[in-house]
Amino acid sequence: MAIAILIAALAGATVVLFYQPRWWLPDAISAHARAYDSQLSLTLCVVGLIFVFSQGLLAWVVFRYRDRGQAASPSGGNHKLELVWISVTAVVFVGLAVTGQGIWAAVQMGASDPRALRVEVMAKQFAWSYRYAGQDGAFGRVDIRQIDDSGGNPFGIDSRDTQGADDITAPLLRVPAGRPVELLLRSRDVIHNFFVRELRLKQDVVPGMTIPLRFTAEKTGTYEVPCSELCGLGHHQMRSALVVMTPEAFEEWLQEARRP
Amino acid sequence: MTIFSTDHKVIGKQYMGLALFSVLLGMVLSLVMRFHLVHPDAKVRLFGALWPDGAPGGQMTPELYLSLMTMHGTIMVFFVLSTAPQSGFGNYFLPLQIGAHDMAFPVLNMLSFWTTTASLLTLLAAFFVEGGGPLSGWTAYPPLSALGKITGPGQGLGQDLWLAAIVLFCTASLMGAINFIVTVIELRAPDMGYFDMPLTCWGWFVTALISLFAFAVLVAGGLLLLLDRTAGTSFFIPGGLIVSDQIQGRSGGSPLLYQHLFWFFGHPEVYIAILPGMGLISTVLSVFSGKKVFGYKAMAMAMLAIGVLGFAVWGHHMFTSGMSPYSSIAFSVLTLAVGVPSAVKTFNWVGTLWGGRLRFTAAMHYALGFVSLFITGGITGLVLGQPGLDIYFHDTYFVVAHFHLIMGVAAIFAIFAGLHYWFPHMYGRFLHEGMGKVHFYLTFVGVYALFVPLHFAGFAGNPRRYPDFKEYEFLQPLLPLHVGVTHAAYFLAAVQLIFLANYFWSKRRGALAPGNPWGASTREWRDD
Amino acid sequence: MTNVARTGQTVLIVASSMLFAAFTSAMAVRRAMGGDWQAPALPAWVWGTLLLAPIASWLVHRERLKAAMVAGSLLVASQFVLLTNLTMASIGDAFCAVLVASHAAHAAAGVLALGRFGARAGLFWHFVGVLWIYVLFVFGAWA
Repeated sequence: MAIAILIAALAGATVVLFYQPRWWLPDAISAHARAYDSQLSLTLCVVGLIFVFSQGLLAWVVFRYRDRGQAASPSGGNHKLELVWISVTAVVFVGLAVTGQGIWAAVQMGASDPRALRVEVMAKQFAWSYRYAGQDGAFGRVDIRQIDDSGGNPFGIDSRDTQGADDITAPLLRVPAGRPVELLLRSRDVIHNFFVRELRLKQDVVPGMTIPLRFTAEKTGTYEVPCSELCGLGHHQMRSALVVMTPEAFEEWLQEARRP
Repeated sequence: MTIFSTDHKVIGKQYMGLALFSVLLGMVLSLVMRFHLVHPDAKVRLFGALWPDGAPGGQMTPELYLSLMTMHGTIMVFFVLSTAPQSGFGNYFLPLQIGAHDMAFPVLNMLSFWTTTASLLTLLAAFFVEGGGPLSGWTAYPPLSALGKITGPGQGLGQDLWLAAIVLFCTASLMGAINFIVTVIELRAPDMGYFDMPLTCWGWFVTALISLFAFAVLVAGGLLLLLDRTAGTSFFIPGGLIVSDQIQGRSGGSPLLYQHLFWFFGHPEVYIAILPGMGLISTVLSVFSGKKVFGYKAMAMAMLAIGVLGFAVWGHHMFTSGMSPYSSIAFSVLTLAVGVPSAVKTFNWVGTLWGGRLRFTAAMHYALGFVSLFITGGITGLVLGQPGLDIYFHDTYFVVAHFHLIMGVAAIFAIFAGLHYWFPHMYGRFLHEGMGKVHFYLTFVGVYALFVPLHFAGFAGNPRRYPDFKEYEFLQPLLPLHVGVTHAAYFLAAVQLIFLANYFWSKRRGALAPGNPWGASTREWRDD
Repeated sequence: MTNVARTGQTVLIVASSMLFAAFTSAMAVRRAMGGDWQAPALPAWVWGTLLLAPIASWLVHRERLKAAMVAGSLLVASQFVLLTNLTMASIGDAFCAVLVASHAAHAAAGVLALGRFGARAGLFWHFVGVLWIYVLFVFGAWA
């Protein structure tokens, strides 16, 4: 009896706590993020229903069939029932998987937008750097032998490549609101991970690979970026930020940054 | 000498002893970790004494935290969850339940226990070498784990010892798997067909089959990583790396290749941890409901399905890794599909209870707790199994909550159930029922208090594997939650003392038990 | 041999096969990426060892165990020579070394098993032989 009550109580407490807004995800700042939240809500609803139903059923069965001197009624099985719940579960589970593929495809399989602002992201133990192409719209060649962190060249832009002379290296990721952005994620040493909560986006940054990450941020603000793949003793201090600016403010910043 | 006994019952107890030591050590490590998370600046004399390099002046460094975390995960996954349910209970009870005199290869059995012990000692040695234990997590991803000391403290000899320990453990497990499989195939009593075996035996059998395939692949991954570290190869090391201002000369390797090899093992590993427990829970629920298991054949087939499908889903650990997004879709569908046989088992457990006459022994309490926790831990898999959603939750505390509930709690509850159920057989006495129930209730509440809130940290995007949360503004509002979780952890640890007291006291002074105290029908309770 | 001996060796063969399958697939993946794959250069004499495996198996079949162990030891010895002569210049060489060394370990274990268990360990020995033909094929022809 007590255990039935306890199961029900814990399940109930869990459900109540899950719906506290205090711990919900931060505000969504893009269309993708809103689509994400829809899918998450749908999934949590389904999960919540399954949770309440199954814990409730368990608690009820425990209560109903506690030993009160009754005889146990034998039941070795029931093929029809098995088939029913296999089918229902399969439909619900696989159905959920299918509904979720849309937001995945939108992020991962879209084509590169030619209008997008392309920014290179460089992760290293334990800091982030960003590179913007200059007026020429092209990124200069890099050469790891020319990497000079204290000298402001974390990318190792090759001084012999004229295209790189006007590249802008920055410690924070600044983007204009409303414009598509394509990040080109690279790492110099170990695996890191670039995560922006408000965009609902996360991507491992793998040495040896250049991985694109596309988004369009709508809301101005500064959003913390925590490294999200264990990269060493400074993993928890590898903080960065996404700064979404109005297009005007962004242009101003870009002009300012371009001045030698 | 008894310690080199080839008797399966002795070996089973030896494995249980090794697992008990390991779980206590693993738990202490987690307490130290939780303490540090909420008191990152504390100077603790004990830490300074134990780890003068890792905690100078008693102040724990991030690298020490990460190495404790690595050891915690490694010890718990391998030496507790892959040991007690299978090598512990399985060695003891499989031969008895199928009517065999011992396992098929008793000498091999003894060797596999001692190889496991050698593995544990090798792992623990990492604590004591220069640089301490590795900080790359139980997953040890390269290049962090492949480039040596230059990527961080503990990444020198500590990581080498860790790898050697893993390779030893794989070898021991493969030896054990061969033994279990041959025993089930060849040594069943003449009147026991495959579908006459108790579900416990099915659990051990399928687990051994999984181990056979999975551990072999981990050996491959581990050996290749060891070679990258010691022989100048570049299986996993790409070109163009510069670490701590030093250009790394090697090139041509793929960090993702390691992840594929590791998780091809790593996912089936979690089924290794849970399947024996599932078999046991079916038995306990059946015995204490006074009815046969509902849908025995479906239960056995579901275990096989989980075992087979479990090999097809490893990519769900790699959704954000940079691998092909198309393969993620395939892995996602398969991942949610593998939830189906698990759901079938859950329904059948309820079906077993339905219409029964439920006796609430301590073992039954744990079994019911297992079902409840399996549901709670398992259904968050429906969130994480979607790559579109995992793109937020990967590497957050949501994942930590998920796997702890399912592995670190449900699987452990199955062990508690097994101990209460089989203690009379192993020691001729009962574990104290009242103490057992008190322990159950306090632990059941404690684990919910500890792990459910971690989901909410995940909602907030709280990354995992952080030694402290000082750097980020968005983490500050979560500190009270973390304090609460830490207190729950202390409470939970203290409560385990009740179980320990029960265990050690009952071995000597527990109430004497008759031959078949629970009225069960499986062979181990028969006089012959 | 008894059922237990046969089943035991079969299961061991499955595990070993998985190990080599893992190495092979790692190699296949690595070969497909990067575009810098260089097949390892196997010296011509290595192909002679191709015969050692079937010969040893035939000897086991005929219960000429000492001779089989000699053939097996010859195989392991030649694998050592091959390993020390690999230049390890490329990733292809590295994979070759890994598979050859793993095979040598299995072959050595097979020889010891023949010594300890006699013809009962024959099934494992036949597997070792087939596996060597596989390894040679992978590096000599396919790589």
